[in-house]
Amino acid sequence: MSEKQRIVIPGDLVSRDPARRGDGTYVRDGSLYASLYGLVNEREKIRVVPLSGKYVPTRRDVVVGFVKEVTFSNWIVDIGSPYEGLLHVSEYPRRIELDEMSAHLGIGEAVLVEVKEVDPMMKVELTMRDRRLRVIRSGRIVEISPSKVPRLIGHGGSMISLIKGASDCSIVVGQNGRVWINGKGCDEGLAAEAIDKIESESHIPGLTDRLGRFFEETKNDADLNESDSEEEVVVESGEEAGKGNNIIDELLE
Amino acid sequence: MNDDVMNQLKKDYLYKLMLENKRADGRNFEEYREIEIQTDIIDKAEGSASIKLGNTYLVAGIKIQPGEPFPDTPDDGVIITNIELLPMASPIFEAGPPREDAVELARVIDRGIRESKAIDLKQLCITPGEKVWIIFIDIHVLNDGGNIMDAASLATTAALLKTKIPEKQYQLGNNNNDDKRLPIRNIPIATTATTLENTIILDPTNDEEQIAGTKLTIITNTNNTISAIQKSGREPLTPTQIQHITTLAKEQSQKLREKFLEV
Amino acid sequence: MTKPESFITNGIRIDGRKPEEIRPITIEVGVLDRADGSCYIEHGLNKVLAAVYGPREVHPRHMQKPTTAIVRFRYNMASFSVEERKRPGPDRRSVEVSKVSREALEPVIFTEYFPKSSIDVFVEVLQADAGTRTVGINAASVALADAGIPMRGLVSACAVGKVDGELVLDLMKEEDNYGEADMPLAMTQTGEITLLQMDGNLTPEEFEKAIEMAQEGCKRIYEIQRNALIERYKRDIETEEEPLETPEEEPVEVETVVENEAEEETSEEVESE
Repeated sequence: MSEKQRIVIPGDLVSRDPARRGDGTYVRDGSLYASLYGLVNEREKIRVVPLSGKYVPTRRDVVVGFVKEVTFSNWIVDIGSPYEGLLHVSEYPRRIELDEMSAHLGIGEAVLVEVKEVDPMMKVELTMRDRRLRVIRSGRIVEISPSKVPRLIGHGGSMISLIKGASDCSIVVGQNGRVWINGKGCDEGLAAEAIDKIESESHIPGLTDRLGRFFEETKNDADLNESDSEEEVVVESGEEAGKGNNIIDELLE
Repeated sequence: MNDDVMNQLKKDYLYKLMLENKRADGRNFEEYREIEIQTDIIDKAEGSASIKLGNTYLVAGIKIQPGEPFPDTPDDGVIITNIELLPMASPIFEAGPPREDAVELARVIDRGIRESKAIDLKQLCITPGEKVWIIFIDIHVLNDGGNIMDAASLATTAALLKTKIPEKQYQLGNNNNDDKRLPIRNIPIATTATTLENTIILDPTNDEEQIAGTKLTIITNTNNTISAIQKSGREPLTPTQIQHITTLAKEQSQKLREKFLEV
Repeated sequence: MTKPESFITNGIRIDGRKPEEIRPITIEVGVLDRADGSCYIEHGLNKVLAAVYGPREVHPRHMQKPTTAIVRFRYNMASFSVEERKRPGPDRRSVEVSKVSREALEPVIFTEYFPKSSIDVFVEVLQADAGTRTVGINAASVALADAGIPMRGLVSACAVGKVDGELVLDLMKEEDNYGEADMPLAMTQTGEITLLQMDGNLTPEEFEKAIEMAQEGCKRIYEIQRNALIERYKRDIETEEEPLETPEEEPVEVETVVENEAEEETSEEVESE
C-alpha cells in the first residue's frame, strides 16, 4: 500500500480523536494537533515524524560520542544533544584507577556507548559495559540528522544492510545520528556517500531503488576509472586539469 | 555541543587524505569551491554584493555619506571597514563586541583596498579640510563554511566596482546626470592558503581551517603587485612555503579577477 | 524623504495598494547550512533573514533554567540596511524589538521539552522598509519550525497604521514615518495575540477596528508561511515516481527506469563537452 506522505507544520490538525496521540502531537480542545514540522504517520497512534531536530537521549539508546573533558571520576561526553553524557569510571569495561583515566580514554576520542539512565533533571548516564560497546579507534564517523536514523536503518535493517553489502563495511548507526563505518579494506568512502544520499533524500519515496542504482553506477565508474588511470596522471602533471574547476576549464578553451 | 574541538578520528582521517593528496570534498589543493556573486542586492546601499563561496555566505554593503576628513589628511576621503561575524553564521560565534578574528579580517581587507590605491582618496574630497566622502564597507557573514577572508574580499571588490557616489542625494557635485561610479583603479583580490605539515591548500573549508598549522593571506592587484599579507595562526612558516603560496596567490587571483569581475 | 501631500487618493495608497492590501511576500526555508533552522523573507522592500540554533547547551551555564529551555532573541539591523549607515551593534531600539519579539514567540514553544537548554533566534535585517519587526517574527516562526522545535503553532505578525485619518494595513516607509499611528501585532492561529504595540493616536473605536484588520492580515501571512514550509518538501516528493506497488507492475517500472537512465546519460555527456 503506497503511503501518502502528508506534510504538516506545528498547529495543523491531525485528528479529532485525542486518544490516538503519539509523538510529535499535542491535544487542544479535544482534538489532536501537530507540534512538529514533519510527516504524519498513522498507525494505532498518530505521530508526526520530524524532518529535523536535535537528539534527545533515551534509556537504552546506543550512541557515538566524543570525549570533551576528563574530570575526577567521569568522562564528559558530547553525544550530539543539548545534554552531555557522563561516563563514570566504573562504567568503563575494565577496572581502572582514577589517575589512569586519561591514559585509557582521552579528550577528542570517540566512543560507542549506551545510555544507561536519564533523570528528570536531564543528567545523562552512559555505560560501556557491554560487549558491543567500546572505544572507537579506527574507521570513520559520519553525522546525519538524528531524525533520519530510522530511514537510514530501514525496515528490519534493510537499508543499512544494502549499504553494508555494497561497501563491505561494518556499520553501526548511533541513535544520535552519528554513524561508525569500519572494516579492513572496506570502501568507507562509498558507505559515507550512500549515507549522505539517504539523509538528503530521506523524504522522497523510491529511495531503496535509487540507492541500488547509485551503487551500480558507482561500481561502473570505478571499473572505468581503473582503465583510464594512466592517462589522467599525464594530464595532471602538465597542467592543472582539476575536476570541475570551472575557472580553469574556461581559460583552457 | 562542543564544536570547538575536532575529534581525533576526524583529524586522523583528514590527515590521511592529505597524505594521499586528497581533500575531503575531492578538490585539488589549489582549487577554489564554486563561487556565486550577485551585485546590487541592497537597494538602500550605494553598492552591494552577496557571495557564496562553497557554503560560506556573506553580504558586503557599501554606504557613502559626506563627513569630516581626518585632521592629518584633510584632502582625503575616508574608508571605514567593518566585518560582523554574526552569531547565525556559526554555532561558535557569539553576539557582542567584535572578536579578534573579526577585527583582523576587517583590517586586512581594509589594507588590501587602501594600499592598492584602488580608490583615489583625493577624488573623494568635497571641500578640503571640511567635507569629504566617507566610504563605509560593512560585511555581514551569514554562514561560515570556511575562508571568510577570501569571500569577504571578493564580495567587497565586486560591490565597490558597482558603487555609485550619491551626489544627487546630498546635492554635492557638479553634474546633473545620474550619480557617478566610484572611480576604482585597481582590483585587489585576497587568496588564502593554509598549511598542514608539508602540504599547502587554498580556499580551506571549516574543517581544513581547524586542523591547519597556520594561514597565510596574500592580497594581489591587477598589475600583480601585492598590497597586503597576513599570517594568521600558531605554527611558523618557512621561506619556501611563503614563496610557493605567493606564486599560487598570483595565479589564483588573476583567474578570479578575470572570471568574476569582467576586467 | 519628504512628507507626501496625501497618502490616500481615491482609495489608493501612494504605492498603489488598497487600505487592506499587504505588500508582496516571498519566503524561502532552510537557506543557511550551519544554523539548525533558517528562513529568508522579502516583504515589500524588506529583506530579512532569521536563523535558529537549538535546543543547545546554555552558555553561560548560570543562565539555564531547571525545567524549561530559555528562549533568546537577537534582532539586528545591518549597517547598510537603512538610508543612513547604522553603527554596528545593538542600539536601544534593537534591544526593545528583541525583547518583544521573544515574548511574541515564547508562548507557542514547548520549552518544557528541553529543560536546561537554550533556543537562540537571530534575525538580521539586510534591507529595511517599515515593519521589520513583524517580518522578523514571521521569519523566526518559520525558522523555528525548520529547526524542528516543537511548537503549538506558528506566529504571524503584521502592522496597522493610520494615514489621512484612515486605517491601513502593512505600512510602508512613508506611511510609517509620517503617519498618525503604527500598531504592530502578532498572533497565533487560535487568535491569541502575542505581540501588541502602538505608538500614535487612535480612538477606542479605531483601535478595535485596527485589531480586526491586523488579525485579517496575520491570517493571510500565515497562509504564506505555511505554504513555504509545505512546498519545500512537497516538491521533492511529487517529482518522484510512485514506489513499486505489486509484482505485476514490475515490467512497467523497469522500462520507466531505463528511460530515465538514458536521459541522465545524455545530459551528462553534454555537460562534459
